[in-house]
Amino acid sequence: MTHDAAKHDAAKHDAPQYAAMRLQQALAEDPRTAELGIKVTVRPGEVFLRGEVMTEERRDRLAEVVAEHAPDLRIHNEVRLADCAEPTGEETLR
Amino acid sequence: MIRIAAVGDIHLDDGARGRLRPALEHLPNHADVLLLAGDLTRHGTLDQAHAVADEFADLAVPVVAVLGNHDYHADQQDAITALLREHGITVLEGDGVVLEFGGERLGIAGVKGFGGGFAGKCGSDFGEPEMKAFIRHTKAIAAGLGDALAALDCDQRVALTHYAPVNDTLRGEPPEIFPFLGSYLLAEAIDHVGADLAVHGHAHLGTEHGITPGGVRVRNVAQPVIRKAYAVYCLDGSDTVSPDTAAGEMGRPGGRITAHSGTRGSH
Repeated sequence: MTHDAAKHDAAKHDAPQYAAMRLQQALAEDPRTAELGIKVTVRPGEVFLRGEVMTEERRDRLAEVVAEHAPDLRIHNEVRLADCAEPTGEETLR
Repeated sequence: MIRIAAVGDIHLDDGARGRLRPALEHLPNHADVLLLAGDLTRHGTLDQAHAVADEFADLAVPVVAVLGNHDYHADQQDAITALLREHGITVLEGDGVVLEFGGERLGIAGVKGFGGGFAGKCGSDFGEPEMKAFIRHTKAIAAGLGDALAALDCDQRVALTHYAPVNDTLRGEPPEIFPFLGSYLLAEAIDHVGADLAVHGHAHLGTEHGITPGGVRVRNVAQPVIRKAYAVYCLDGSDTVSPDTAAGEMGRPGGRITAHSGTRGSH
């Protein structure tokens, strides 16, 4: 493979869809996060994280892992904290 | 009337200890039993299982659980099951339990479940060994669920799984991943025996309400879906359908009455 061809492949490999998938897999497989339910969307220069986790520390760890894998992307961490309130009603199944 | 509290996908670890505890303190005001629909730990370590055991310790109502895929990640599922049982939690996998509340018997059969997809859009027991192993795993689990449901001698019957038996409750998830979220084989097993409720988790972006082809109500209780510590479902056993009434409505294929009368008929 020539040097030019390698550069060409790298550009294709860096398509936003692949970047998003790599980040999503990292969040699932990295033991610090182990989160499968986070939606990762990559736009030019930016990455958006959406979903829900149990604690603030876990929300911060998501951004930490993403920053390691994509240091050039600005991170918008829109992940929300789980609401663990007591239920206010019930459903009766008849 | 039996009151069932249920939640799944709580993904506990040391850092999340106590998150559910305030709402659990008042659990007996809301429910007679608590079902846990799997993914109790963050990624299946024994440390995380200790956080689960402590979170649900000393509740005034029985706790019945199945494990989820996260609870299998560190290959500690057997040790996690043993630990939770030591702490008084009933952990089901291909078996069931019958609890009595005020003379009414609630039967719960549980399995983790697995993927494979839904009718018309599912994997087959065909091709590479990996593919066959995948679908055969689901088939074996679904058969176990069916046997466990059939063995319950009870007035109200509930199927508890982690993976989804129907795709209704997956609305909100990308359709491309439905085959990883559940299998119609679970619903088929539930409908074959009949049940009053099927509870599952796993699909964080899904929706709460669904129904099997045979008319059994399905509820996705993944914590990010219900957005509270637990959801509560009351099974009203007072409207028992007489065989005559049911026969009159048999004309509606797949209608709820048909499935319901099947449940009553066998017990």
